[in-house]
Amino acid sequence: MVNPSNSERWNRAGIDDNMLAMFDASETKDPHQDALDDRIAFLDVVRASSIGPEYGKPPTSKIFGAVFHMLRTGNSLEIIVGSYKLLVDLDKHFPRVYLSRSSSNSPSKLVAVKEAWSPFIDCLDNGTAEAGDKQSSGPLDPSSFQLLIEDVAEIISGSKLQAANMEPLRNMLLFQYLVIVFEDDFIPRNASSEWNMQRESLLSLLLGSRKINYKSLMKDCLTIICQLSQLLQGEFSKHLELQQSSKSKLSRNCHVALSLSLFGVLKDTCVSMEKLLVMIMNLDMARKKADMEGHTTRADSPRTPLMEIILDELAYNKDSVPLFFKTFSEPKLKLEIVVQYLWKYITKPSVRTRKSSDYIEDATFGGALKCFSNKTGTKSLMKKIGVDVIQFLLAHGFQAQLSILSNGNADANISGDKEGGVGALVDLCQNFISAFNDFRSTDAHMEILSIGKEALFTAATIMAAKS
Amino acid sequence: MDMNDPLDFELEDDLLKSPAINTKRKKIIGLDDLLKDHYKEQNKLLERRKKQTKANTKAKKRKTSYDDEDSKEAKLTRLVEKCHKQLKAFGEEEDIPPWGVKVFGDKKAFPPVEFPDLTCCNLLNSFLNNKLNSVVELTVDKGDIFLEGLLVNGWLSKLVFVCGHVEKSVAIWAFNTMLYSSKEELFSSSTDFWCAILSSEEEVNQMPVKIDWFPEYADLRRALDIYGFLFKFSSSSEPNSLDSDVEGRPPQNTRAWIRFVTVCCLIRSKKEIFSTVEAEEIVEIIICLFLDRQFLGLLVLLKDCMEAIVNYFTDQEWCSSSENIAKFIACRVSKDLNCIQTIECISEATPRCKQLRSAVAYQTLLSCFDGVNSGEEILRFVTGLHIFCTSPSTNNWFQLSLASCTFPESIHVAKVWNLQTAYK
Repeated sequence: MVNPSNSERWNRAGIDDNMLAMFDASETKDPHQDALDDRIAFLDVVRASSIGPEYGKPPTSKIFGAVFHMLRTGNSLEIIVGSYKLLVDLDKHFPRVYLSRSSSNSPSKLVAVKEAWSPFIDCLDNGTAEAGDKQSSGPLDPSSFQLLIEDVAEIISGSKLQAANMEPLRNMLLFQYLVIVFEDDFIPRNASSEWNMQRESLLSLLLGSRKINYKSLMKDCLTIICQLSQLLQGEFSKHLELQQSSKSKLSRNCHVALSLSLFGVLKDTCVSMEKLLVMIMNLDMARKKADMEGHTTRADSPRTPLMEIILDELAYNKDSVPLFFKTFSEPKLKLEIVVQYLWKYITKPSVRTRKSSDYIEDATFGGALKCFSNKTGTKSLMKKIGVDVIQFLLAHGFQAQLSILSNGNADANISGDKEGGVGALVDLCQNFISAFNDFRSTDAHMEILSIGKEALFTAATIMAAKS
Repeated sequence: MDMNDPLDFELEDDLLKSPAINTKRKKIIGLDDLLKDHYKEQNKLLERRKKQTKANTKAKKRKTSYDDEDSKEAKLTRLVEKCHKQLKAFGEEEDIPPWGVKVFGDKKAFPPVEFPDLTCCNLLNSFLNNKLNSVVELTVDKGDIFLEGLLVNGWLSKLVFVCGHVEKSVAIWAFNTMLYSSKEELFSSSTDFWCAILSSEEEVNQMPVKIDWFPEYADLRRALDIYGFLFKFSSSSEPNSLDSDVEGRPPQNTRAWIRFVTVCCLIRSKKEIFSTVEAEEIVEIIICLFLDRQFLGLLVLLKDCMEAIVNYFTDQEWCSSSENIAKFIACRVSKDLNCIQTIECISEATPRCKQLRSAVAYQTLLSCFDGVNSGEEILRFVTGLHIFCTSPSTNNWFQLSLASCTFPESIHVAKVWNLQTAYK
């Protein structure tokens, strides 16, 4: 970064002082309308002085810190939402990590702005924030991130989720913002395909930190995503509107505003959680690749891959299967989870006769579908994981494979290979229908779930349209 | 880090804090503070004079000026006291109410989300004879429940993208569920569905998915009317005097409405859903929603929508449209903190938004000063009153009109402004 000239620096310092004066004034005043106005004015001034056609300079770390502080401690909807939006916009305007290309032919280079403010402490892997800062101000350390996840899990699970106070909204927006920070940092690093860059990502540093309990953090994340999935199915907002302000200290307007926004915030939190899980699994894959290529060192302490944790959780807690798959939609990873789940329980031929010596385990979704033609194998699978879970796995696996193929088709349309794509789609539908029929025929009294019916309908409709 | 920077404000460690930072930063001087200081000074001056005159009378008799001075002093004291009282009375008046307008009134009855006859829906109808229907058990009377399942579990959008076609009955049904279904999951899924099919783009300028039916603005307007939106609200009526809990409470579907409008604005190159006049009305509606405190939590949605709709216009349209919008807003919103909110809710992030902000500020000022019709006159008037520095709307309009040169007077205005600053 070019050093700004002296006068500019002074100028900037002056502006900063003025802005922070507004912030300080609002800190010391009573929690009253005036203080609120000051804080909103502060946010407006920060926005106007950094985001706009003729500015283009990021605020200083102090200003950033003050805005972040407002998001973490804000007590009014206006402040929480306003500071969240400002932080998101600032991150969009002033990325901390980006790919730059000096000329059109040269490979892009990863640039990390070292001096940029971050909501996390500098030495994320082993540092701890000073004790006094843990509460509300200052950047986060790994353990406060874990605390946040625990809080969100608790909020969603229980009685705390009411439109009666700001805490649920505040914590969920904070979480969403942090996921954006992880994403902006991880995606360009991951695109570089260099382990050196990937391992330095905030996410990798956080997960590798000894200050967190990785496994319990991941379990909390899974609990959150499943519980959100359940909440979003119900008549959630009616429930919110009914528990009126009798207990709440909030004004009527505030209560309405909160219940009007809470459902959307829950949904966004769910999307953010999926993004986080997807990023972690991509990081795991990058690590595996680096491992095979011999790029990892002893400093890269091993971690249980998230995929394994998810598979364990889904196997252990069968109720979470429909909830998890309903929300988790990234097709490639979703398919991978389904396939691994199925193959864990599909009986492999134990004695290989001469005839089956050419048997090659086909650990794909298509391969799994073929296994249903073996009646005894299907029966043992039903015994092991249950009729309902099999239906969920088949339907969601089919859906994921469909997404992958139809996305591929869109690419093929451009390149001109239309026939091959359509053929693959029809094959998939055909195989799915026959696997489902085989599965159904093992038990005449089997109850077909609505998701199974919908999947069959979709497969049949696509076949009718495409062949 | 800058050497001049004090330590981060949030570091609580006293040991590390240099004493210089402990002294509180000076607050920006407000007009009230200046006045207070002024009166303090005057009082001090008076006291001193009193003492002086007393001393003078004791020590020497300065006959010539004595009477004169005494009456002057009394006059001044009275004046100061009067001013002081007035100031006090002014301060004791109740606080200026915060901004906030009730833009929603009574909800009307929601139309039932009817599923059209199964025979109209080719998607479902063609399956009835499929041999797999012995398993799926789709019947004529359960068509809507089945379609809901397809929508909520994501099958409908997969089907539509694979087949590249949305038939009319499905499009209308999804549109109506989005706006009128009370089931949270359902209307939020149909919003996702509509947003996905509208914004799908594999090829530039061509819809990859053929959609047989598009809503018109009238459909959207009708929905807002049913939600209870007051197209003719008056911001001067009492904003917070709501006794009933249900009255004036926008339904959850309003969120879907905003999201849908935002996506419609982004696809103008593919499908022009709104006419210019309609788009103007949408901007006005969004600004009105910003005025309702019940929408505080939807700031992100509203800001995105505002940015999208402002960019919907072509450059030629925008010149006159921004002025029309500004005039509309200026004459509808009362001249209190609400009119400032209408200005501040428009971001400064893009040149267009900035221009709109400036236009709204300008029109608001024009309507504040009745009978004044140019920027220059306003400025003279305002500088005459010496309240220039406290009026955000003047500031906004002024800075922005200079920057964007929207108004022919801006050069004159700049001259007057220079005079004013030179005078300061």
